Amino acid sequence: MSKITSCIAIAGIFLRVAAGAQEPVKIEVFDTPNDAGGSLTITWPLSTSAQTSEYRIYVATAADGPFQLAATTTAPALKSTEPTLFGHAEANDQFHVLHFTDHDTEGGGEPMPLRDGTAYFVRLGVTTDGDELFSDVHSAEPGGNWFNTAKWNNLIISVGLTLVILFYISVARRKDLFIRRIAGLEALDEALGRATEMGKSVLFVHGLKEMDKISTIAAVSILGRVAQRTARFDTDLRVANVDPVVMSVSQEVVKEAYLQQGRPDAYRPDSIFMAATEQFSYAAAVAGIMVRERPAAHIMMGYFYAESMLLAETGSTTGAIQIAGTDAYTQLPFFVTTCDYTLMGEELYAASAYLSREPKLLGSLKGQDLGKALIIGLVLVGTALASFEVDFLTHLFASL
Amino acid sequence: MLFLTRTLPFLFCFVFGVTSWIIYYVPHEYAQTIEREFALWLRLVFAFAYVLGLVSLLSLHWAKIRQRQAGWAYSLIVYISFGVMMLFVVYNDGNGPFAPQETTGPYQWTFINVHVASSATMFSLLAFFISSAAYRTFRARTPEAAILLVSAIIVMLGRVPIGAYISDVIPEAMQWLMSVPNMAAKRGILLGVSLGAIATSLRIIFGIERSYLGGGDD
Amino acid sequence: MERLINIDRRIIFVFVFLGVAIPLLVDIHLPIKPTPTVRSVYDEIERISIEDPDRPVLVSFSYGASTVPEMVPMTRAILRHLFSRGRKVVGICLWPEAVGIAQPIMDELAAEFGMKYGTDYAFLGYKPGQHAVVLNLGQSVAGTFPFDTAGTAIGDLPVLDGAKNLKDFSLVFDFAAGDSMEFWWIPFGQEKHRFPFAGGCTAVMAPDLYPFLQSKQLVGLLGGLAGAAEYETIIGVPGSATAGMEPQSVTHLIIILFILLGNTVYFITRRRGGTV
Repeated sequence: MSKITSCIAIAGIFLRVAAGAQEPVKIEVFDTPNDAGGSLTITWPLSTSAQTSEYRIYVATAADGPFQLAATTTAPALKSTEPTLFGHAEANDQFHVLHFTDHDTEGGGEPMPLRDGTAYFVRLGVTTDGDELFSDVHSAEPGGNWFNTAKWNNLIISVGLTLVILFYISVARRKDLFIRRIAGLEALDEALGRATEMGKSVLFVHGLKEMDKISTIAAVSILGRVAQRTARFDTDLRVANVDPVVMSVSQEVVKEAYLQQGRPDAYRPDSIFMAATEQFSYAAAVAGIMVRERPAAHIMMGYFYAESMLLAETGSTTGAIQIAGTDAYTQLPFFVTTCDYTLMGEELYAASAYLSREPKLLGSLKGQDLGKALIIGLVLVGTALASFEVDFLTHLFASL
Repeated sequence: MLFLTRTLPFLFCFVFGVTSWIIYYVPHEYAQTIEREFALWLRLVFAFAYVLGLVSLLSLHWAKIRQRQAGWAYSLIVYISFGVMMLFVVYNDGNGPFAPQETTGPYQWTFINVHVASSATMFSLLAFFISSAAYRTFRARTPEAAILLVSAIIVMLGRVPIGAYISDVIPEAMQWLMSVPNMAAKRGILLGVSLGAIATSLRIIFGIERSYLGGGDD
Repeated sequence: MERLINIDRRIIFVFVFLGVAIPLLVDIHLPIKPTPTVRSVYDEIERISIEDPDRPVLVSFSYGASTVPEMVPMTRAILRHLFSRGRKVVGICLWPEAVGIAQPIMDELAAEFGMKYGTDYAFLGYKPGQHAVVLNLGQSVAGTFPFDTAGTAIGDLPVLDGAKNLKDFSLVFDFAAGDSMEFWWIPFGQEKHRFPFAGGCTAVMAPDLYPFLQSKQLVGLLGGLAGAAEYETIIGVPGSATAGMEPQSVTHLIIILFILLGNTVYFITRRRGGTV
C-alpha cells in the first residue's frame, strides 16, 4: 500500500471512530485441530455491543474474493465450551469460536466442501443495528491431523501401563511374585476333593459371552486348571456351553489338561457339550443337570446375565458346593448370596494366575496392581486438590 | 500346520491389535478409513458366527436324534420348530421370501405369542428365585450384613411407589444409596476390571496369552 | 422355629404369586414420583425439541424377547413423547430379536400421531456387529445401513437428510437389556463423538450405569419398569408400567416382610442358643 493510501485508511478509521462506529473485529482463522480434515476454525472476541444480531463467515479462494457465505450464526459458542482445543484458560470465556466445513456456491446449488491443502481466505461479517462490518481477511488451509492432541494424556497412560505390565512379566520370569490368598480358589481343591470322595461329578459353567471376551478367556483358563485336577483325581467333569466356539476351545483345553496329566484315556469329548444356544434355554438345561445329576460341585466362572440367579439358586438347593466368579457387577449380589465362594471382578482374571503361578500371568497381575495403586493415589490427591478448587489434576486426566 | 493354527493367529492379533490402538489417536482420514474397514470386517465375522452357531446347533441335535441319546425327542422338537419358522419366513404372509419381511402373519404371531411369551416367562422366574434367596441369605449375622440388609430394604422400597407413599425420605435415601455408595463401588470394580481387561488384551496382542486358541502354551 | 428357618421355598413362591396377582385384580393407585435420572431424559427431549428441532433422533433397540415386559413400556413412553413433540425418529436394532418387537411399536405409535414413514420416521432394522456397528455409524449412517427394512435406499428417506453420522442426531437413545450401553454405545460412540446420549435399561442393570450419569456421558436413565412408570407419569399417559407398579410394590413388601421374619427367627433362635 502506498503512503497516501495508508494515510487515507488511517484517516478513515479516525473518522469512523469519531463517528462512534465499531472497530473491525480481530479474528483468527486456522485449520481445525484434531480432525480428519475439511474444516476451518475461526475465533473472535466477544462483542461489546448489545445490538449485535448476527455473525456471518465468508470464504474465498483468493484474497480479493469473490467471497461466498460459509456459515451464519446468531449465538456462536465460546472457546470455553471446547477445552479439547483451547484448554481451560479463563480468557476462553471472552472469545467466540465456530467451525465450518463448506461454503455456498455462486448461483445456488449444493454447498462446496472445503478441500484439504487449499488456501482459503476468510472474513467475518458482524451485523450491528442493521449494518454489516467486515473484519480483515485471514487465510488458512484445512487438513487432516496425524495426532489428536486432546488424547495425549490417554496415550501416556496407556503406554506407561503397557510398559509396566510388560516389565513385571519379565520380572516374574526371574523371581517369584507374591499373590494374596483368594478364598474361592483355595476352596477349589476342597470342592474337587469333595466331588471325588462322593463319587459325583463337577459341573463347570462358562457364562454367556463369546470367546473373544476377557471373562471367557479367564474362565477357560480356570477350566484348564480344574481339568488338570479332575484328571489327577479321576473325577467326572461336565462342562456346559452356550457358544460353539467356546465349546471347541474348552474341548481342546480339557483334552490338553488330561494329556498333561497322563490320562488321555479318561478324557471324554461328550463331557464338554452344548447345553443350548439361548440364555434361558441354557439356564433351564443347566438347572436340569444340577437337579437330576446332582453334581457335588458347581463352578460358575465367566460373564453372566439374568440366568445367574436361576443357576445359583437352583444349585444351592441341591446341596452342592458352589464357587462362582464373574466380572458382571450386577450379578455379583446374586452369586454372593447363593454361592459358598465368589470371585469378584478382577479376582476372576487373577484366578488364572493364582492357580497356575505362570510368570506371564503373575507379572501382568502385578502390573495391574501398580496401575490401581497409581489410580488410588491420583484419586486421593485429585480429590484433595479439587476440594480447594485447584483443578489442574482434574483437567490433566479429563477425558477430552 | 503350526503356522496356520498358531503363528498366523498371533500375527493377526498383533497387527490388528496394534493398528487399532494407534488409530485411536490418529484423526486423519487415512486412519478413519482403516477403522471403518476393520469395523466392517468385524461385522462380517459376527454375521458368520450366526451361521456357525446355527450349523453347530443343528448338527448337535442331529447327532442326538441319530444316536437316540437321552432326550432326543427334544432335539426333534428343535428341528420341527426350526423348520416351521423357516416355512413362515419363506411364506412371509403371502409375499414370498424375496420381499421385505412383514410385521404381520404367522411368523410374527409365533414370535410374539410363543417365543416372546416363553422367554418372558423364564425371565419372570427370577422374581421367585430372588424372593427365596433373599429370605434364606439376608440375615444380619454381622454388622456389615446388617448394613447391607437395611440398604437393601431402603432400595427395594424406594424403587417402587409404596416407598414414597410411606415417607418422602425413602426415595431420597434410595437415590443417595444408588448415586454415592453404589456408584463408588461400581466405579471401583469397573476400574479394576478395565485394568484387568487391558492387561489381558496386551497379553493377547503380544502373543503372551494363548489360551483362546485352545490347548497348551507351546 | 426350625421350620420357619427352613421354610419351604414354595410357600414363598405362593406369596409372591399372590402379591403379583391380587393387585392386578384390585383397583389400587399409588402416586408415582419421578426420580431425577428419569426427569433428566424428559428435560433433554424437551430441550432438543426447542433448541434443535430439525435434526432427527436416533433410537436403538438392544433388547430381546425375555425383557419385553420391562422394556416395551419404556419404549412406548419414550416414542410417544418423541412423536408428540413432532420429532423425527430413526430406529435401528443392535439385537436381532428387537426387530420383531420394536418395528410394530414404532409403526403403531407413528400412526397414532399421524407420522409419515420416510418423512417423519424410519426403521432401518438390525445389523450384526455390536460395537462395530456403532463404530461404523460414527463415520457414516448410510454406509452402515444402506437400506431400511423395506429395501428403500437411505438416500430416498427424507428423515435422514443431513444425518451423515452420529454427530448429526440431536439425541441418541438406547433401550438396553444387555451390554449395548456400557460396552458399545458409550466407549465406541459417545466417548468418540460426544453426542447427547440417554438410555433405558432393565432394573438389574441400572446400578451399572450410574457412573456414566455422574460423568455426564449419559444424560438420563430409565431403570426397569419403575423408570418406565415414572416416565409415563411425567408425560401424563399411564400405561402398562404404571399398572405394574402396584404388583411390584406389594411384592417388594412381601419380600421385605419375609426377610424381616427370617431375621426375627434367626435372632430368637440365636438367643435360645440354637444354631442357624
